[in-house]
Amino acid sequence: MNSLLALLIVPVIGSAAAAVLQRYRLVERLITFLTFSVTFLFLFEIKIGDILTWHLDFLGKNLEMGLQITPLSIFMLYMTIAFGIVLTFYNLSERSKMKGFLLLLTLAASNWIFMSTDLIGFFFAWELMGWSSILMIFGGKREEESRHGALYYAMMSIGGSYSMLIGIFLLSNLTGTFSIQSNVSYLTLILGLHPWWVLGIVSLFFVAFMVKSGIFPFHTWVPHTYGEAPDGFVPYLSSVMSKYGVYGFLIFLPLTSGAHVPSVLGLAWPNYVLLWFGSVTAVAGSVLAFMQDDVKKLFAYSSFSNLGFILAAIALFTPIGLTAGMFHAFNHLLFNGAIFITVIAVISKVGTTRMSEMGGIWQKMPLTFLTFFVGIAAAAGIPPFAGFGSKWMIFQAMISHGLIFATVLLFFASIASFLYLMRAFHAIFLGQLSHKYDNVKEVSAIGKITEVFLLGALIFFGILPGFVLDPINSIVNSFGLKPLPTSGYEYINGFFSSINMVSIFIVVIVTFIFGFALFAVVAKHKKVPQEDNYTAGQIPQDWNLTPEMYQFSYDFYEPMDKELAPFLKVKIDGFFKGFGESVEYIGEAIKEIFTGNVQIYTYLAVGGLVIFVIAGWVVW
Amino acid sequence: MSEWTEIVDYFRGRSMWMLHYCTGCGAIELPPTMTSRWDMERFGITPMATPRQADILLITGYLAIKTLKRVIYTYEQMQAPKWVLGFGSCTINGGIYWDSYNVIERLDKYIPVDIYIAGCMPRPEAILDAFVKLKEMVQMGEAKGYEKYVKNYDWYKANQDKVLKRTSPVLKEIEKVTKIG
Amino acid sequence: MVIVEFLIKLSQGFGIGALALATGLLFGGIGRKIMARIQRRYGPPFTQNFMDLFKLLSKGSVSHGWAFDLGLVAGFAPMLAALMFLPIGPFTLLPSDSSLIMIVYLMMMAYLGMAMGVLASGNPNSAIGMSRALMLMVGYEVPFAAVIFSVYLFSKTGYLTQIVTQQAGGFMNWNIVKMPLGFLATEIALQGMLGEKPFDQAIAPAEIASGPMVELGGKYLGFGMIQHSVGLFLETGIVVDLFLGGAPNFWIFIAKQFVLYFIVILVDAILPRLRIHEATSFFWKLPLFLGILQAVIVIIQGGVLNV
Ligand code: SF4
Repeated sequence: MNSLLALLIVPVIGSAAAAVLQRYRLVERLITFLTFSVTFLFLFEIKIGDILTWHLDFLGKNLEMGLQITPLSIFMLYMTIAFGIVLTFYNLSERSKMKGFLLLLTLAASNWIFMSTDLIGFFFAWELMGWSSILMIFGGKREEESRHGALYYAMMSIGGSYSMLIGIFLLSNLTGTFSIQSNVSYLTLILGLHPWWVLGIVSLFFVAFMVKSGIFPFHTWVPHTYGEAPDGFVPYLSSVMSKYGVYGFLIFLPLTSGAHVPSVLGLAWPNYVLLWFGSVTAVAGSVLAFMQDDVKKLFAYSSFSNLGFILAAIALFTPIGLTAGMFHAFNHLLFNGAIFITVIAVISKVGTTRMSEMGGIWQKMPLTFLTFFVGIAAAAGIPPFAGFGSKWMIFQAMISHGLIFATVLLFFASIASFLYLMRAFHAIFLGQLSHKYDNVKEVSAIGKITEVFLLGALIFFGILPGFVLDPINSIVNSFGLKPLPTSGYEYINGFFSSINMVSIFIVVIVTFIFGFALFAVVAKHKKVPQEDNYTAGQIPQDWNLTPEMYQFSYDFYEPMDKELAPFLKVKIDGFFKGFGESVEYIGEAIKEIFTGNVQIYTYLAVGGLVIFVIAGWVVW
Repeated sequence: MSEWTEIVDYFRGRSMWMLHYCTGCGAIELPPTMTSRWDMERFGITPMATPRQADILLITGYLAIKTLKRVIYTYEQMQAPKWVLGFGSCTINGGIYWDSYNVIERLDKYIPVDIYIAGCMPRPEAILDAFVKLKEMVQMGEAKGYEKYVKNYDWYKANQDKVLKRTSPVLKEIEKVTKIG
Repeated sequence: MVIVEFLIKLSQGFGIGALALATGLLFGGIGRKIMARIQRRYGPPFTQNFMDLFKLLSKGSVSHGWAFDLGLVAGFAPMLAALMFLPIGPFTLLPSDSSLIMIVYLMMMAYLGMAMGVLASGNPNSAIGMSRALMLMVGYEVPFAAVIFSVYLFSKTGYLTQIVTQQAGGFMNWNIVKMPLGFLATEIALQGMLGEKPFDQAIAPAEIASGPMVELGGKYLGFGMIQHSVGLFLETGIVVDLFLGGAPNFWIFIAKQFVLYFIVILVDAILPRLRIHEATSFFWKLPLFLGILQAVIVIIQGGVLNV
């Protein structure tokens, strides 16, 4: 069997098996995990340049469809499938309501997206991916809310898909072919003659990608959906599924940065606009994130803030910008995965997503706590963990263009990320442990293995970034740009300085050893329970003081909210909410028509296909 | 070894951080002691915010029984080495509150006092004098009240319980008072 | 051979750490003395901070568990690590890695570690203090970042060692002359970084019982003091390297640092504390404006790299 085809067929077979054996939860999960692993094994069989084409007789037209491996697609495939293995392995021990067969369908779709050479296959896979993930979100814990979340997501997705569909038709009408490559080169050709046409078509595609990645102003679905999706699925949603948009952008970006387009500050203006979308996304995400009390929503916003970083970097379309963006995409997958997996571990133990009801969990779940700590350290961009290099490269890429305002905005977003990360860290893990959670236990052995693996990965890719940067360099090369110089696995090279992560790691380790030695040598300490705390002389029992009352985590940044309130009023209340509400309104209206049934999306998807067919008649 | 203890004691004497438990009228004498007129910082004595950080507990005057309970709690939260400074006649023999029904008479029945400052109220000079004296005692290795407390804990505890049982219950209906919202 | 080299570097690093700690403690002591003189007091001896540290390290303390211990160690170990990359006068321990952003982020790791430790104590006062410290950080880091980026564009390098060598050859080559606005913004940001008035909301002693430090005693407080002292050395050292042209030898380096710290102390002596949200938004006004103005000037002068 051709291994390209195997990447599509194996997940589908696995999905069918999982669907049949759905009742036996353990078997189903095992099948999901094994299918991911087998698919991963097939990855070793393929190499860059592999191609597979077939012809489809469609309404009398002979359509050429195909699969192809480019450096970008193989990078994406490795990233997503490896993450899927980790997640499904973790889910073996979880009692979450995630449906394995839908996840496998998503996998098949995502493999197709990354390999497709034609727009029909791309669109089909895109729809399949959207469809299965929406059905997945329907299975959330709180039925009413999760249905709402899924509908919201469905509405946005449909909007994006139709926009993409129109784009596809316009394009194929112009060129008479569906091949991505020839379409892109055609667009490049006519860019000089009809820039507006090209930009119009490309932005139709970009809308779909922005929706999928949750880029401002299409981010409104993100918190709703992430907040309601089944716990086991959220890491996949935020780490992997947000990257499809990035892949899409990368297909069309070479076009918009062509030499014919008028430029702003040495940057083609569509890229400049995209860059600002990215920067605004990063800031809005960070600011909204530190005001959340629901942990899933907090990290949903954090995720879309990071997508803003990625978009801003790749929008530059310079070697360093592209490298930084892809590198951050990888790092985001890693640290966001670690964060979300530990978060869902805690949620499954304490049974709530409200952070103000948690606290002090570190005493009960030490390994989870450490993984989370390293995860947020990486997310904050602290060396020597994964995440430092990419953020630093993004800043270099931006500032070397002289984009000072955007850079300062991004830096602000990066500092604000400290705020929400520390808030989550404190509210979930630190502070006072409520007596409610006296019986909370550390995750199972499977969970522990996953966490240790993630911990190791965060450190490994932090100190040896070359293992990621090498494939990224070949991606950059494949876009016709000159990749950054490499000088060994431990180096992060940029414009301004190249940093040897291993030497930094050694220095940090040595200072830590010194710190612990000093700690051991000087005067002894005495261990006290958490009740023995400074209470300004009051005796806690006299005042019936409970740990919950002595935990400050609600409204953690209240003064900041006050300071930002005027901005939020203008932007969020006025625009975001208005936008969100109108979308919600449409959603509600449609929900009423279809009585909120799962089938609507199916109908709409079928409707879309009908339009597709009719349009095909008209065009030819 | 004894040289080492001497060095440690020397530095402990030169850097004493103080937690002032301002229960009585004597507290009013502390601001002039801290600020420009008398400036106690030149002896390395600085006010601190919490018992965890402090070396000296300064009891500035009379102690009602309810207050005593807090003082004991605070004292036990401090870490060795720690010293107690009784400030004013009230801590020595009750002062003008000698016959009050809810004020204790002698502080050192409940916690070990290293130095008393007599006077009602003592002037800043007297306070500084006490600090210098305490410093000398610490450097000589004499101020060992905290060890006495550990050694004779039963005796102190008995004395404390005798008066403290009058304070309970602090509030009759705790839930009603402390319920939030 | 590698091992010998490593041991040499290790002992040198140890020396740098000790030197930085001593300088930081000395600065702290002199600062207290200056403050006392401004308030017309006699003040403690300038060696007071050494005695305080010694006493703290020999005093008993309480621990709230291993996260508390780990946090406090993580609070000053990265600070020492960052020190190893700082050009101190003519000497840099690891010159090939002295990237400025590296140092800044390592310092942030120290703050993160410290935050973990104090929050693990479970005291709401420390949580309030920490939330204030973080909010303040959003304030001062933003103008500081604008300044860092303009220095990058100006010098076309991110290595502190190279930034220093570019300023060689007299006062007129210093960045303070070439980028006065940036220096001004940095000086204001420095006030916030060091947590001196009017930006000492995080450790308001009378209000929230010294905030993050509320549960720290003995050696834990000692570690906090080490962190603060080394941080003082590091932050003033960065500004000296960025704007005051580094130094030909250690003593001049310290003297330049002291000038910066002296300004901070003077401002500290005369200003009251701001409310936290006023402080944060203050940094987004004048200092940020100065920083961005500086960056724009640098860019107009042709600072953009051609990619
Ligand atoms: S000794 Fe005098 S001044 Fe001091 S508390 Fe008692 S009555 Fe007040």
